[in-house]
Amino acid sequence: MKTAYVLQKEIRESILTPKGFLWYILTSVILSVLSYLFLTNSELSLLDQGQMLYMIMNFITALGILVGLVFGADAFAGEIERGTMEALLLSPVTKAEVAMGKLGATLANLGILLLISLPYLLIVGKGGQNLLIGMVYLAFLATFLTIIFSAFSMGLSSRIKSVKNSLMASFFIFLLAGSPIFLSAAQRGTWFGRILDLINPFADAINTFDSVVVDGQGFVHQAGRVAIICGYLLLSLWFLERSISKQEM
Amino acid sequence: MINVENLVKKYDGYTALDGLNFTVEQGDIFGFLGPNGAGKTTTIRILTAIIKADSGNVLIDGHNIFQEPWAIKKIINALPESTGYYEWMTAREYLEFFSHLYEEKTSREEVDRLLEIVGLQGKGGHLVRSYSRGMKQRLGIARALINRPKLLFLDEPTNGLDPIGRRDIQDLLIDLNRKHDTTIFLSTHLLDDVERLCNRIAIIHYGKIVKIGEVDRMKGKGTIEDIFFLSTKESTS
Repeated sequence: MKTAYVLQKEIRESILTPKGFLWYILTSVILSVLSYLFLTNSELSLLDQGQMLYMIMNFITALGILVGLVFGADAFAGEIERGTMEALLLSPVTKAEVAMGKLGATLANLGILLLISLPYLLIVGKGGQNLLIGMVYLAFLATFLTIIFSAFSMGLSSRIKSVKNSLMASFFIFLLAGSPIFLSAAQRGTWFGRILDLINPFADAINTFDSVVVDGQGFVHQAGRVAIICGYLLLSLWFLERSISKQEM
Repeated sequence: MINVENLVKKYDGYTALDGLNFTVEQGDIFGFLGPNGAGKTTTIRILTAIIKADSGNVLIDGHNIFQEPWAIKKIINALPESTGYYEWMTAREYLEFFSHLYEEKTSREEVDRLLEIVGLQGKGGHLVRSYSRGMKQRLGIARALINRPKLLFLDEPTNGLDPIGRRDIQDLLIDLNRKHDTTIFLSTHLLDDVERLCNRIAIIHYGKIVKIGEVDRMKGKGTIEDIFFLSTKESTS
């Protein structure tokens, strides 16, 4: 119940603000531009529906992760820097309840992003046979990845106690997660590239999207990658729990 | 009310508290004095169950702080030094948020009562960011009274306030102590506050209590300022 009050506070503080709305408007603008290009650009419009959908899904997932990292980095370090953490810890609320409330706000934010992106997904993926199943995978994997990266970032925030430094560390993790994108197709085909792809939760998610919406493969083909993502989910929550239990002012 | 025995706290090899011993009785306004870095804030953070000590024992109202921190959180509260506020909330929302964390369904009347106690009646609907420093301190004290604590810790509550603001906070603390029977643990280095408010004091220096006793008895040996300087000088030499 106390988690619900922290969640409510976080939503009011981070989402229902002019800055929050600006962020959503920006997301809509970027999605509009992307969708317009996909549908009208002479080269991009040659892509089939599945590939367009796949690219939009990657973008939405990356955006969810990014926001999760920013929310996570501010979670504990921000409260400490603003001098509000001590008052929270004085009340009979556990650090885990505070963390869950903050994680809930990150997911609420992802929910809004997914809602905003819904019409774009429907328009870009219209007529494609894997649209619905693709959207289901997007909802689940984007949620898992947002929790993973937000929980890691929140754990770092609790340990480092500085918004700036935990944000930098979190972005470094984000770049590491995105590293397979910088590899060429040939490099990704090598044993090193394949391992990097496999152990990287972000790469696992986008490869799953590719497999589902472009290649139309079933869950059996995705099970291994989804299991790895679930493993990271547990690892990130364990890291968060360890970090906040050690936290001292 | 408070019984502290051999409290030790170290940070990366630096000893912040070096075998602290003292007691505070029910109904006291206990002044906890010391120069900057003496260990006042660390002591308060341990006594309010925010951080753990390396060794020692603390009993608050009969509860062991290390074994029953949640029982203690229900009967104490504190105004930390340089506390921050959710500036985007109104004062009323701020108090309601913290009252929910105590699972106390604070009514509008209860919030009004708290605002009235601290002299902020009629200003509950204003955003905290519009408050002056003195008003924020009052709001912080209102937040600290939300669970009707038996014991209130205040860390430099009048720091940075103008003389009128300081006098207002002092009056408020005297009221709380006399009318609401709240035991007050007041950490400060402002000796005026101590002379006006406290019935007992302890002086801490380099993590050790160097002087403890009743203010009236100490005054016979000079002013509080003299005693403070003498005690800290003796312990340094």
